Amino acid sequence: MKLEHPSMKNIYRPIEASIEEIITETPTIKTFILRPKEPFVFRTGQFIELSLPGIGEAPFTPSSDPNKTETIDVTIMNAGRITSLLHASKNNISVGIRGPYGKGYPLDVFKGKDIVIVGGGVGLAPLRSLLFSLFGDIDSYRKVVLRYGARTANDIVFKQALPEWSKREKVDVVTTVDIGDPSWSGNVGLVTTILKDLPVDLNKTVAVVCGPPIMMKFVTLKLLDTGFKPQDIYLSMEKNMSCGLGKCGHCRIGRFYACKDGPVFTYEEMKDLHDIWD
Amino acid sequence: MVYYTESSQLNDFIHRLAKSYRIFYPAPKTNGAKEIDYSYVQCNAKEGFVFNPYRAVEPLKVFFTYTQEEVSEYFTPEPQQGPGKAIIFGVKNCDIVGHRIQDFVFLEGVDVDSGYRLKRENTILITSDCTEFKEVCHCLAWDIMPYPTKGFDLNLSPLTEGYLVEVGSPKAEALILEHKDCFAVAKEIQVSARKAKRESLVERLKKHLAPQHLVPKDSVQKLMKDGYQLDTWKQFMLTCVECGGCNFICDTCHCFLLGETKLGQINKKIRVWDSCLYANYARVAGGANPLKTRAARLRFRFTKKFDFFVDNLGVPACCGCGRCIEVCPGKIDIREVLKDLAKKLFATNDK
Repeated sequence: MKLEHPSMKNIYRPIEASIEEIITETPTIKTFILRPKEPFVFRTGQFIELSLPGIGEAPFTPSSDPNKTETIDVTIMNAGRITSLLHASKNNISVGIRGPYGKGYPLDVFKGKDIVIVGGGVGLAPLRSLLFSLFGDIDSYRKVVLRYGARTANDIVFKQALPEWSKREKVDVVTTVDIGDPSWSGNVGLVTTILKDLPVDLNKTVAVVCGPPIMMKFVTLKLLDTGFKPQDIYLSMEKNMSCGLGKCGHCRIGRFYACKDGPVFTYEEMKDLHDIWD
Repeated sequence: MVYYTESSQLNDFIHRLAKSYRIFYPAPKTNGAKEIDYSYVQCNAKEGFVFNPYRAVEPLKVFFTYTQEEVSEYFTPEPQQGPGKAIIFGVKNCDIVGHRIQDFVFLEGVDVDSGYRLKRENTILITSDCTEFKEVCHCLAWDIMPYPTKGFDLNLSPLTEGYLVEVGSPKAEALILEHKDCFAVAKEIQVSARKAKRESLVERLKKHLAPQHLVPKDSVQKLMKDGYQLDTWKQFMLTCVECGGCNFICDTCHCFLLGETKLGQINKKIRVWDSCLYANYARVAGGANPLKTRAARLRFRFTKKFDFFVDNLGVPACCGCGRCIEVCPGKIDIREVLKDLAKKLFATNDK
């Protein structure tokens, strides 16, 4: 029996945070600005467990700049029991947060490279945190190429921010929607259709993908087809994560736990495992 | 150090300990089962100690994580409080080896579960040699002996009269010294007698297991990798009723779900045991479920034990206690699942 850790810290204890502001992004997606009552620091790509006290808890990856430590933004799609209650909630209520958990994005590995970021739907939320991290240290990277796809123009998150980002130096943004409508004058087609002729040097490029599993699958296949190596494709693996600590068992993928070993994995780590897109 | 104690002295020892510890030991159940089952009870000072010849019904983990327990309160910096000092008798080597998985999960990794650690620190494990085995016992198949050689505080080996008491930890040595009138240093002839008894049981268990042709320990990871797509999983899941019994009764299964509850105005976070055989085990918000079928979930249980833990801890997470075989209303037998995979994969090598 190993008992070398003297800490009596309770790893399940949520810290209190208040919902300071709720921003409606799309009809089904809202951003919650949380103000933790104790210091809370995360690295981009790490996730938190957000709870409604006495009701339930769910994992989310913050969408805010990790360098901004007073508040944390979490951008949430109304998809299940907890998220629908969150969507119905008001400002100033107390929520619980635990974490941060997971390894996050390996920014050190990304330095000096072209970064292709491919987002689908609400998958742009964790990627926004990554974008802020890259923007804050843009000299360390060669180029940031964002390719974002949403179902319709109405489903685009951070609608105001996207054009602002595209004006930044060393940043290239292309957006598409699966289904066009008269209000939309941009690209129509799946996100895979805007991955041709990426303005990057494939020998010095990593791709970061976040979105629904089916989108990540086809984006990964497309990127491989384009010439990306499996070790240069970073995927956010969505699993049921209860504890966040590699103890509860739920998020196992082969020999890994999505929570503690991920949730970001390279395709190289995933490619020989079974049923990773399910 | 090995000591000897008479049965009456052991009873004295236990009754004295009962003044400062909660004491548990497996007592025989009179439920008419073909094999007598032993189930943990809290020691009553009036009763004498009963020796259980084989493992108890319950896995050792029941003393360290509970089916449901409160793990935190919103929003107080509450101190962790354990249930106090306990001594558990009658733990067998399968439990000790299996419990290594629980220790790995809760004491190692990214963070230590301090509540678990407190219980572990406050608990003394008094193991004992098996003198019989159940039909389902198959520890030897995993190279686990039916007597412990490490991982215990004290180990009892019954002799014709009295017990040999082997000391496995400094805190147990201190306990012996404190009650030294109950113990004498063991004689060499007594230690030899223990060896003979152990060897005799191992021989009997070997004879019991030989006709079962169990799969070799070092083949299990290959069975999981190569047998992933076999129809074994579909075939064996047919009788699975998703009760989770196999998980809950398992010495090594550790999955849990964090949940919430309210007590008056106080919100609490609770931890409940979970089962990978439950339909919603891996379901995510929005309804996607990577483990949609019972076959996928049964396979998940096996790959966790025989692939994940081989990769992450170097050992399969099965201790051969056979509890899951006894508990399963669908008569799904872990030995038979492994044998079926081996039969199908290595069919060409059979005569």
